[in-house]
Formats: sequence, structure tokens, C-alpha cells
Amino acid sequence: MTELHFTDVQRDCLQELVNVAMGQASDKLARYLGTFVHLQVPAIALVEAALLSQHFASRYQQQSATLVSLGFFGDQGLRGETIMLYQLANVGVIAQLLGYSDDAVSEAEMLTDISSVLTTTFLSGLAEQLENSFSYAAPRILSSRDQYFADKLAYTAEQWQLALQVDIRYQLTDYSFNCDMILLIPGEAVLRLRQTLDNILADF
Amino acid sequence: MALTALICDDSLLARNQLKKSLPSVFDADIITASNGVEALSILRAREVGLVFLDLTMPELDGVGVLEAIKADAMDCLVIVVSADIQPEMQKRVMELGALAFVQKPATADKLADVMHKYGLI
Amino acid sequence: MQLDWLLQPLLTQLNTGVLVLDAQYRVVFFNQFIARRADVDLAKVQGNLLEDVFADLPLAWLRRKLDSVLHLQVPAFSSWEQRQYIIKLAHLRPLSSDSQYMAQNCSMLPLTAPDGVSRYICLLIEDATDAYVYQQQLQQSVIQLEHANRTDGLTGVYNRRYWQQQLGYEIQRAGRYQHPLSLLLFDLDKFKDLNDQYGHQGGDFVLVELSRLIGSLLRDTDLFGRYGGEEFGIILPETGMTGALQVANRICDTVARHKMLYNQQTLKATISIGVACYFAQSVDELIQRADTALYCAKRQGRNRAVAYQPELEGYLKKVK
Repeated sequence: MTELHFTDVQRDCLQELVNVAMGQASDKLARYLGTFVHLQVPAIALVEAALLSQHFASRYQQQSATLVSLGFFGDQGLRGETIMLYQLANVGVIAQLLGYSDDAVSEAEMLTDISSVLTTTFLSGLAEQLENSFSYAAPRILSSRDQYFADKLAYTAEQWQLALQVDIRYQLTDYSFNCDMILLIPGEAVLRLRQTLDNILADF
Repeated sequence: MALTALICDDSLLARNQLKKSLPSVFDADIITASNGVEALSILRAREVGLVFLDLTMPELDGVGVLEAIKADAMDCLVIVVSADIQPEMQKRVMELGALAFVQKPATADKLADVMHKYGLI
Repeated sequence: MQLDWLLQPLLTQLNTGVLVLDAQYRVVFFNQFIARRADVDLAKVQGNLLEDVFADLPLAWLRRKLDSVLHLQVPAFSSWEQRQYIIKLAHLRPLSSDSQYMAQNCSMLPLTAPDGVSRYICLLIEDATDAYVYQQQLQQSVIQLEHANRTDGLTGVYNRRYWQQQLGYEIQRAGRYQHPLSLLLFDLDKFKDLNDQYGHQGGDFVLVELSRLIGSLLRDTDLFGRYGGEEFGIILPETGMTGALQVANRICDTVARHKMLYNQQTLKATISIGVACYFAQSVDELIQRADTALYCAKRQGRNRAVAYQPELEGYLKKVK
């Protein structure tokens, strides 16, 4: 899809904005959770949404995995959907992290809670970088059994043209776990995003 | 002779952003490096008075650069400019000899404040 | 055009609950949606703590959510699917919902006052009772479907597919825990004659009547299924050969003595039963053994139960 192509400069700009947003998110989360949180973003990747399920199928094939989706809307037609991918084996760590160990809360609720905290904290930082602000839809669990995993991801991704794939590695003082975040952005919003990046680049 | 200042960041945007946000009264030759390895070879080849250093970079990260500066006892001031602003990380880079810590994005106000504080402008 | 006047009537008529709290979780505002459904008067409770205004809140849970909104300045959400309701509010579907309270979707949003300092939280509460009711109905349908999926349409006992699957599980269990397990296979004697004399409806009537009768003789843990046509199977967990033979003889006798009234005529029927005991065989082998015993019961004159023994295999060959 050449139409949605990003130049190296635009890509670099987006990577930097994501890094800054992620840094702010780690700071907020660290204060909130009372533990050192390091959200490492090795590199973002812009991929065609159609190729996503192939990419993630192998990584999440071995264990049971869960997808949690959260939609967001901003001004100037910027909108999209984030998908967090977790291995179910990490749910216990998440529960401890959020202080859920003391009362009965469903696994579904823990996953939607941590997803909404992580994604909205990051996204509100990103929105600020883009001189925008986002409103959010409630998180939804798309699938928690791996046989549907690839299908669900393929189905969801089908509705979007571009996927900004962000691998996040959470390192906490006492525990660490990995999960993946995917930002799915529809074609017209990609054009808006590119315009915004060009505006930012023009300022410097 | 004007001071030489090195901006080390893997992001072109961040380097440009920082360069444009430096106070106009700051009279220095500005050079740039896009990773830690490049920065160290510059620091070893010529005299640099001040380094604006990013932490998250490929090849060699900011912490690695600070360690090398400390090990070689290089004579330069380092201001860390990073998105990772947690107290633990700040403490770590300060222990490695950094002068100050600026949270990204590095705006003109933030830079002027910290440079004024340390008598650089 | 000045539009400020719109806000008050909109808030009043909005079909969404709006509840605003300050940073100490004291009630600052709620709209008519909440006032009416919770039967509270804002003027009387303004400034009171949330938990003092609304009874039985899930307080620890709610505080954790509100804390995250306040400290991270990002929204939090709650769905009726995970927590049916937060605040006890009446709903407008008293007849169709089995719940007294409104199912709720709730968004908790961070707000900052124009002074740039004072923090507030706005809870938006949406009525999800309709979705809740649909889901209850859907669950009911799923239960009915699952029941239909494992039941024989005519007799109401398990169908062959489900019954045989259960036999597989019971065999695994018996093998794992070294527990006894027995299998009865039985067949209506001279069912063809019955059909010829009374028609297929008469035959069906006998199958239904006897299934009910035999079912009443079994324990809850026994698994009774229709194997096909006039052939049935009963899985007897925790039962060895002696017990299984007792059950089989009791079934045989009860059936033989049972009189059935069909179109003003009294019918009687008998059955033959083959009994086999699990001893590390596969599902197919166990069924094969019970079938061999059933065949011998037929050969020996019907209306009886025969236990499987290896010698029967020879008997089978002889008569063949």
C-alpha cells in the first residue's frame, strides 16, 4: 500500500513521539503502582494489518492468549483501536501488580483493567505529543482461547489498513512480563497522522 | 573559542527539536551523533564541553556512554534528555556523573531553566 | 448563538446517569436519571461521601477504580458483564429481568476544574438491562440446546453420540482410579412382532414407556442411552459384576411384569440384557463384550440377563 507509506523521517518522528509517550506512561504507572516500571519500546513497526495475525500466530501459539481491545477517538479524524496481547500465564502477575490478590475479581476484569490503564496512559501521552486529545471506548475482551486467537485478530485487523505494532516489555522491580500492543489505524486516519507528523517536523 | 556541544539522540526529530530549543544566548558549535558509539568516538577525537544525551539508543545506550565517560575521566558535562523520567533512572544517571536530567520533549523553557541553573548561559 | 441554556435541560433529560465526585469521593452532582432511580435528592446529600449516599457499594473495588482515574488521569470502565451493577438503581424492565437492579455500563472520567487544580471524577452510568435480559435468554437457549443435543428425541434418554462419549469418560475414570464399572446392553424382545401388531406408533409407545420405567429404577449417576432402534445401553459407575447382574435382573423382571395400556389394549414386553464388566478394555471392546452376552441371552430364550464370560465367545462360534 504505497499510499500509506511513511518516509524515514516520518517514521523517526513517530518513533520518538511513541518513546516519549511511553516514558511518561512508565512514570505515571510507577507512581501509581508504587514500583519501578520500565516500559521499553525496542522499535515500532508499521505493518499492513492483513499480515498481523500471521505475525502473532507463531508467538502466541504455544500458550493460551488473550486479546483486549480498546477504541479511541481524537480530533481531526484521528482514531483507531489498540489491541493488547497477553499470555494467560501472566494473569497472576497482573493481579499482584494491581493489588487484586485480596478480593475476588474475575480474570476478565483484571485483564480489561490492566489493559485500560496501560493503553489509556500511553495514548493520552501520545495524544498530547500530537497536540490532540483522545476519548476512549470501554475495553473488550476479544478472545481468550487460542484456537480463535488468530481468527479474531485477522477479523479485527481486516477493518483497518495500517497497524502500528509496538512491542512492550514491562520490567518491574519485582517481576517482569512481556506483552504486545498493537495500534490499529484506519486508512484515512493514517493520512491525518502523517499530516500531523509533517506539521511537527515542519516546526523543527 | 566557542564551546562545542554534542547532541546525542537516535531520533532526528529529537536532535532537531533540541537544537532549535537551545537558548539563543548559548554560544556554541553544535554537533550531533545518532548513537552511543558515534558519540564516544567524537568525544575521544575532539574537545566537547557539553553533551545532551538520550538514554534509549541502539548500539550503545546513554547509560553506556556515561559509564565510558566516567571510566575515561573525560572532561565534559552531561545533561541527560530522556523520556524515561522515573526517579530510579534519574538517580542512576546522577550517580554516573550526569549534571542534570531533562524530561522529553525538551522544550526551550526546560532547557533554559536547567542551563541557567548550572551557569551554562 | 448562546448555547449554555441547553446544558441543564439536557442533563435532566439525558438517558444516562451522570454522577460527579470530588477528589475525596464526595458527591458533587448527579442528574435526574440517578435521582429518580435511586430516589435521592441532590440538595439533601450534596457534599456527603459517596458510600453514605448510595447503599451497598462495592467499596474496595470502586475505590481502586477511582484511585486510578485520579492518579493516572485516565478513564476507567466497568461492564455489566463483569459487575452487573455498581449503584443499586431501579430499572424499567421489572417484568422481563430477573434482577431487581439495573445492569450498568459505567465510564469513570477524570475532570479538572477551570482553576486547573481541582480534580473531579465523572461517572457516566448507562442502563444495560436490555442487554442483560437478552443474555439471560440466550443462556437459557444455550442450556436448552445443550440438552437437546444430548437427548434422544423419542425416549428422552441420552442419544448414542453423547452416551458413547460418556462411556469413554467413565472408562478413563475407572481406569485411573481403579474403580469398578459395568455396562448393560439390552434389546426389546421380538420388537418386530410388536410393530407388526400395533404399528410403529405402538412400537414407539412401548419404547417411551419402558425407557421411563427403566429410568426410574436407576441411580442418578447411571447413564442411560439409546444405542439405536430398540437397543439401549446403561453405564453403571462404581458397580462390579455382582451388582450389575442384580440391577439387570431387576430390570428384566420389572419390565416383564409391567402392563402397558395402549389403545384400550394391554401390552406386555420383555427384554434381554447383556452385562459386561470393565477390565482395562477400550470402549469398543467393552461394548463388544456386552453385545456378546446380549446375543447369548437371546439364544438362551430371551427375557433374561447374561453376564459376559470368555467362554461365551466359544458358544458364539459354535452357534454361528
